[in-house]
Amino acid sequence: MTSAEEISKMFEVESQKLISLFDTADSKNQMSIHEIVETYYQVMNMSSMATMLKAQADSEPREMIEKIKQTEKLISERFDCIIHLKIMTHLSTTIQELTKHLQSGNSGEKSKEQTESDAKLFEKLRQTMSTKEFVEQYEKGISHDQ
Amino acid sequence: MINNIAKNLVELKQEFVNTYDGNSQIQELIPKSTSELFPIEQSHLDLLHEFATKNPIYYNSFEKKIASVDCIVYEGDINKYWLNSIQHGSSKAPFSPTWIMSGYIGAMIAKQLGYSEVIDIGSGDGRIAYCAKILDLESYSVEIDDMLVDLQNLLTSTLDFHPYCADAIAFDYSSLNLLRPIFFIGGLAQMGGTFLATGVLDKINSISNLKQNSGWVFAGTLSQKYTQDPKNEAGWGTLIEKNNLKSIQTLSLPAAWTFHESDDVQYIFAESIQ
Repeated sequence: MTSAEEISKMFEVESQKLISLFDTADSKNQMSIHEIVETYYQVMNMSSMATMLKAQADSEPREMIEKIKQTEKLISERFDCIIHLKIMTHLSTTIQELTKHLQSGNSGEKSKEQTESDAKLFEKLRQTMSTKEFVEQYEKGISHDQ
Repeated sequence: MINNIAKNLVELKQEFVNTYDGNSQIQELIPKSTSELFPIEQSHLDLLHEFATKNPIYYNSFEKKIASVDCIVYEGDINKYWLNSIQHGSSKAPFSPTWIMSGYIGAMIAKQLGYSEVIDIGSGDGRIAYCAKILDLESYSVEIDDMLVDLQNLLTSTLDFHPYCADAIAFDYSSLNLLRPIFFIGGLAQMGGTFLATGVLDKINSISNLKQNSGWVFAGTLSQKYTQDPKNEAGWGTLIEKNNLKSIQTLSLPAAWTFHESDDVQYIFAESIQ
């Protein structure tokens, strides 16, 4: 197999992975933090690959260039405009709800069990906040590209 | 002797980590009574226990023999203070306390070095200032977060360590009439500590007689998780050099956040180059 064929095959495999992650995102109202992070990493992975391959466009077969364009369109139209916004909304809502819930439980003494159960929710809040920061970094990247 | 107590505390913490099976967010221990490993006055140990018992961040305690030492283990939770600090943006670094025993050992060193006043900057629940007061040092506690200062005010009935709710880099230190103070800076260099320390150093250096007479204690880390300073000193080397300070002693001591870490906090004691 030539190097061009290997690259084309790898690009195809990674594109399928991306589509599968997008399908999962579409099918769920609430993605887990792991699924969110995995999806963004795959989007960034594909975007980097597309940029790198476009830089050597002269040596790439026409078919490959077409695949790259399709993937970029997919990321722009399906991810940036729909899935990314859905994830941002979900993370913001989760943070608001958790914060409200945890603040409402702050008054008065709590049992050991209640304190340790709430600590798990605080941990979830911290994870969601740091995931939102990560997602916001992606958004900054998009706005710089435009 | 103090270095041995510090070393014994670090070893006791390691043993504690291996045997602790609770689920609390933070946990620490205080020896029950004076011993060969911890030759600390009983009345002082009692006051350390009183600080923990009265402090609302701890919701549970129990006796436990760790290695050969009878201890009281305190289990606590500081989540609501974290939530408050991020809601109001009042603090640049979240509250994460050192161990009470670590605060006491740090204050012992301050006393041994000849300082007469301890100023606990970014003091959280004020434990270092409280520990200094046990050792008959005058002490002051400066904390920007009002929820934490309210907590400190619950603890001053035992010993008044003078809590101030203020931004430490805007605080008027000349009002304290300090003679030979040592400033404990809360927060790692990489977690807002450098900004805080620089602001306080600038204020102190502008007060005649204090630049040469003041000591500094910086909380540092050797953990690979944090960016290290090219001049070392557990993250503080550049600040130390830039401010014409020299490191005179370093102590490794446990804090809440180092419970699951192999490296404890590196407390760097520094003073002006004469």
